[in-house]
Amino acid sequence: MAYKPFDADALIDATAPLLQLHVAPEHRAGIKLNLKTASKMAALVEQVKLADDAEPAPVYRP
Amino acid sequence: MKATSGAAEIAASVRSGALKARAVVEAALSRIDRHNAMLGAFTEVTAERALAAADAVDAKVAEGQDPGPLAGVPFAAKNLYDIKGVVTRAGSLINRDNPPARQDATLVTRLEAAGAMLVGALNMGEYAYDFTGENVHDGPSRNPHALDRMTGGSSGGAAAAVAAGLVPLSLGSDTNGSIRVPASLCGLFGLKPTYGRLSRAHTFPFVSSLDHLGPFARSVKDLALAYDALQGFDEADPAQTKRVNEPTAARLRHPVPGLRIAVAGDYFAGPAEAQAHVQKVAGALDATKVVTLPDAQAARAAAFLITMAEGAALHLDRLRQRPDDFDPEVRDRLLAGAMLPAVWVERAQKVRRAFREKVLRLFDEVDAILAPATPMKAPLIGQKTAPFGGIELPVRQNMGIFTQPISFIGLPVAAVPVWLDGEALPLGVQVIAAPWREDICLRLAHQLETQGTCRAPVARGFADD
Repeated sequence: MAYKPFDADALIDATAPLLQLHVAPEHRAGIKLNLKTASKMAALVEQVKLADDAEPAPVYRP
Repeated sequence: MKATSGAAEIAASVRSGALKARAVVEAALSRIDRHNAMLGAFTEVTAERALAAADAVDAKVAEGQDPGPLAGVPFAAKNLYDIKGVVTRAGSLINRDNPPARQDATLVTRLEAAGAMLVGALNMGEYAYDFTGENVHDGPSRNPHALDRMTGGSSGGAAAAVAAGLVPLSLGSDTNGSIRVPASLCGLFGLKPTYGRLSRAHTFPFVSSLDHLGPFARSVKDLALAYDALQGFDEADPAQTKRVNEPTAARLRHPVPGLRIAVAGDYFAGPAEAQAHVQKVAGALDATKVVTLPDAQAARAAAFLITMAEGAALHLDRLRQRPDDFDPEVRDRLLAGAMLPAVWVERAQKVRRAFREKVLRLFDEVDAILAPATPMKAPLIGQKTAPFGGIELPVRQNMGIFTQPISFIGLPVAAVPVWLDGEALPLGVQVIAAPWREDICLRLAHQLETQGTCRAPVARGFADD
């Protein structure tokens, strides 16, 4: 299945009400720009091959 | 006391009785009074407290008691450090509504216990989410070497205050590069210790997974004296690792034979300007080997995502209640951070461990790695974009491209200032070592300083004061 282009508006519209965040019209462009940058960062992170047993960095020590 | 006086020199004179701590602090307060409006370094001056501390030091000397290794040394702290009786603004407008801090940050207490005297709080980028040193509420901190240029951030005031000789020592914080970037742009020595080395208790956080604290100075001896005084376990910081103190200042001159030093290649080999500075250091240290930090670009990306998400979680309620009171650029990054899919952040934390394991393997073959601290020298204040690898990108997000992968895995780094012949502005180089080997970073920095490869002068125009 081909990936659709990253849709920052859809992410903003879905998450802002859930998080009770008000996105003023004049804030939207800045948020979109940052989400697009983040999506590129996430793509870079996804390129690193990780084994199923890879542990995250923070390990809770009781 | 002159603007160029260092911490070690001041402490020696005060300890011997040749110089009164009160005279030192009065001279520092006078310089702050005359120059701060131009520099934007201080947001709060704690004159009364400093004078009382000076009198206490002078009384100890008069009574024959040990006044401490930093006796009579003025210092200041980034305004995210708690200072009893002062509101910890963390570069923000919103936090100014908080009550004054009820106690000092642990590291402030540590320096004062060593005889140093706190003279104030320093300007910073809002909530430390910044590499420029510009603050929309307090105005920018200005680079003392070129007042129309950035200090770098977010510890911009901490760098400006030391580079202008207002104080010989300052305390900053570094989540993704906020000590190393301003040290690079302002031509200072800066130490970002190993993650978990120094207590962060009673400072305003940013990204708990990545936050570090550390000092700035104009000499490696001063940096090491401060670092030694700052060490020590503190139960109030859950992220601190319990380790014995490992003093460094007395051992700086010990030769380090056989140290294997390499230059970071690949991702870090970027801009020619930065490389010229790295090569000057590499030549002085006879470092011919090149190593690759595998997946450095992905590591930087992972640090970027963790920062966005943890920063957003910290500020979520403020984003709901007072979005218009943020610096708009900080607000938009944090709002975006609140919306990131959790899987991105979880994967980033796994990449963090994987990257750590790959890089630690390199330290089987080398003892220190050299990399640029910034991709360029100080941009102009207000400059929004700059060419990064031929692409025009935002300055605010990208000045830390070379620092971010290193702090991501918590390695200790000394940022050392390098000036090429005939150049008016410096660019810093990171001297990176394995976890807990701050001693290697500092000894190499000291060697470079002694050889004349690195220097951190008080900026022209402030030095004769």
